Amino acid sequence: MTEVPNRDPELVMRLARLGSFHQSRLSFKRVLTRRMAAESWRFDCTAFEIDGNGEGHAVYTAQTPERTYSLIAFAHDLPAEKRSDRVIAEAWDATFTLFDGVPEDADIQRLAQNIPLQEAGRVTGRELSVSRANRSVRLWEHVVASLAAGDQPETAQIEAVGYLMRTTAVYGSGKLGAADREMIADRPEFRVPFQVEMLSVYLTRWFVTDLVQHMACCRAQKNGMTAAKLAPQIARTLGIGNSTGLGMAPFLLNHPVLFNNWIAAREAALSRVRGIDIAKGADIALFHELFERSTLLFAAWQSEHPLQREKLAALQADVVALRLCLQTIDLSAPHPWDRLYQWAEQNLSLEGQEWVVSLLLEPYGALVDDLAETMAADNTATFRIAGSMTIADMRALLERVYHWAIETDWSLPANRARAWYVSEEKLEPRLGERFEEPVEEYEQPLAPGRDAAALHRALSHWPDDAQVAEFILRHPEHRHALRRAQIVGRAPYAEIRDNTISERVMPIDMLRCKLAFFGATKFDPRSDRWLRICMYGNAPLPQELTSDTAEYWPYPDLPKGDA
Amino acid sequence: MTYSLNEIEALSKRAARGSGLAWGLAEEAAKGTRWLSAFGFQGTDLLADLLEMNDRIPAIDVSPVSLRAAVWHAPARRMSPLIAGASLSDCAVRLMERGSITMENVCVPLLAVPFMGGAALRLGHPVAVEWDGVRVATDGRHLCLHGETDILYTRMTTEMVFSTPAKMTGTKEPVMRASVSPQSWDRLAVFAHRTFAPATDESRLKGAGAGLNDND
Repeated sequence: MTEVPNRDPELVMRLARLGSFHQSRLSFKRVLTRRMAAESWRFDCTAFEIDGNGEGHAVYTAQTPERTYSLIAFAHDLPAEKRSDRVIAEAWDATFTLFDGVPEDADIQRLAQNIPLQEAGRVTGRELSVSRANRSVRLWEHVVASLAAGDQPETAQIEAVGYLMRTTAVYGSGKLGAADREMIADRPEFRVPFQVEMLSVYLTRWFVTDLVQHMACCRAQKNGMTAAKLAPQIARTLGIGNSTGLGMAPFLLNHPVLFNNWIAAREAALSRVRGIDIAKGADIALFHELFERSTLLFAAWQSEHPLQREKLAALQADVVALRLCLQTIDLSAPHPWDRLYQWAEQNLSLEGQEWVVSLLLEPYGALVDDLAETMAADNTATFRIAGSMTIADMRALLERVYHWAIETDWSLPANRARAWYVSEEKLEPRLGERFEEPVEEYEQPLAPGRDAAALHRALSHWPDDAQVAEFILRHPEHRHALRRAQIVGRAPYAEIRDNTISERVMPIDMLRCKLAFFGATKFDPRSDRWLRICMYGNAPLPQELTSDTAEYWPYPDLPKGDA
Repeated sequence: MTYSLNEIEALSKRAARGSGLAWGLAEEAAKGTRWLSAFGFQGTDLLADLLEMNDRIPAIDVSPVSLRAAVWHAPARRMSPLIAGASLSDCAVRLMERGSITMENVCVPLLAVPFMGGAALRLGHPVAVEWDGVRVATDGRHLCLHGETDILYTRMTTEMVFSTPAKMTGTKEPVMRASVSPQSWDRLAVFAHRTFAPATDESRLKGAGAGLNDND
């Protein structure tokens, strides 16, 4: 092994690059499927009490070596005019909770009064998540109608959407009264972040497959027919969609240490792989195979958003360039992956570069998978301000991390055109026009660059040897930014090094980054501030999950003969 | 009703901000209220008391005049336990060097206790505080408590003496759920509400970038 340093935060922590991240083997849903297969989790449907109108409940359990978790699903018959993916919606096609254990009848009754209400309901420490989903109206109807008529749905229609239902929020960690993450974070299956949410979505996918079959059978029966059974190979390609808006963007800014740990794990993994002196033939072959398989994933990735279309076109060009490169580069010579990475950095778009990063990790589970365990965060230590730090040291720290912000002219309206605020309507996070709407007085502290630059200015006449404790006692308005700077001093990937309130900011970059860590694919921006994605598309169904199927499922199989 | 600690922290942060505190202090108020709630104290009632007492007043009036003074005191002769407590945590090293720090005329003194937890973790030694015959000590993870409840919940004390290293006797473990009085929740919600922008048709449409049909 050769020591290769982690990539510089100045390179990595730019919005355009973060907004080009792809899923990798450190993504949270892949960590989960790997564990579920390795520990031979058992899956059962223990209740399915849903009527011909699609109303009722179902229970799906996942049994780990030590515990049982149950997804309790409530199905509803939702009129079209009520179907909205926004946080401000008040009714959904289906609502869910992940229950800690096996629910009694009394639990189901209690939850039936609360889960369908989502934010307007209350749950307890026995519930680990609360979520909801809406149908893809087009695909749902097509699949129900096809099966009810005794046919399989058309592949082209399935591929055009990719999912039967999309979740519009998956709440965990204490939301609405659910268990705090701290209550369960010491369980091995939940040590890695967002495993509760990923498990909930995995079981949701299973429920949705059963529900569509049930609805098709009911319709067929009405017509005196027998419905076809959805072919497993089609069911497998279906994922769960997700519609994600601005709520996710503040998350990355509000959890700097956690965000640092995600990025740091991925960067450390990349460094380890780049440090490999000689690659084994089998690893090179696997890399080639997954390169080809990921091009199939990209071929099925559609978006109508002009910006994403541009990025996809660049990615298609990158595919061609990388294929040519792989024909000429000698991967059996020393330091193959470092050479390949450097080639990518010089020759590919940001989409292509970050795709190569994800691909490079694939053959090396034994080398990098342990890093998943470093991705959680305990904020207790980093929250405290080191008050004895001198003003000189704080100034130097700001100049090192925030030089881009200190050099920005914050008096220009274009550089602070936007303001993040929270609406009183269901507390929906929104992004407003600072100079056109009356939102500034409600602004959230989500412009770390501007705030760090203001802190730097405020320190300018303070003596070098004074302590920051004295400064923030006089200037509590800088306490937030100063704490943040100290955090970034210890956690180099904690800060996005871009202007988050500029007139050019694209919030979808932040959403995409977070969703890539979840393991999402087929990012489809619907505007500059919300997007749709697909989770678990192509993943093995619960009954198919083995250590053979648990790993490379995000990459579609090559057509027979090409493999 | 029981609440998750994250809910308590989230509401406390918004409420503290709504009362006029800077974001950085609102974060301290939130962590502190969560910490007290985790040890079974009525943290949300205490925070509501303080925010109502100090609603929208300038922070500087209820802050320590100097961290170097022998006795910390505030110009308004009533000190905010959040601001003084945050300073105590910031000055953990100084507390160790001096052995003790005394504060005069502190409002809702129990709200200053969580900051001892931060200081204790930084120093690696327990920190104790005494006021009016009550003694509380913590190593950051556990708590020990001697004294009467009504004094513990007093709204003003003339003197608090913080000291380190301190002895831990008869420790209390934190819990993971907190019971919260509906009254205190509503009182904090009034402050929190001030941080939410009124919904307008324009913001509803543009602010979250919607407008497309979801029946597709």
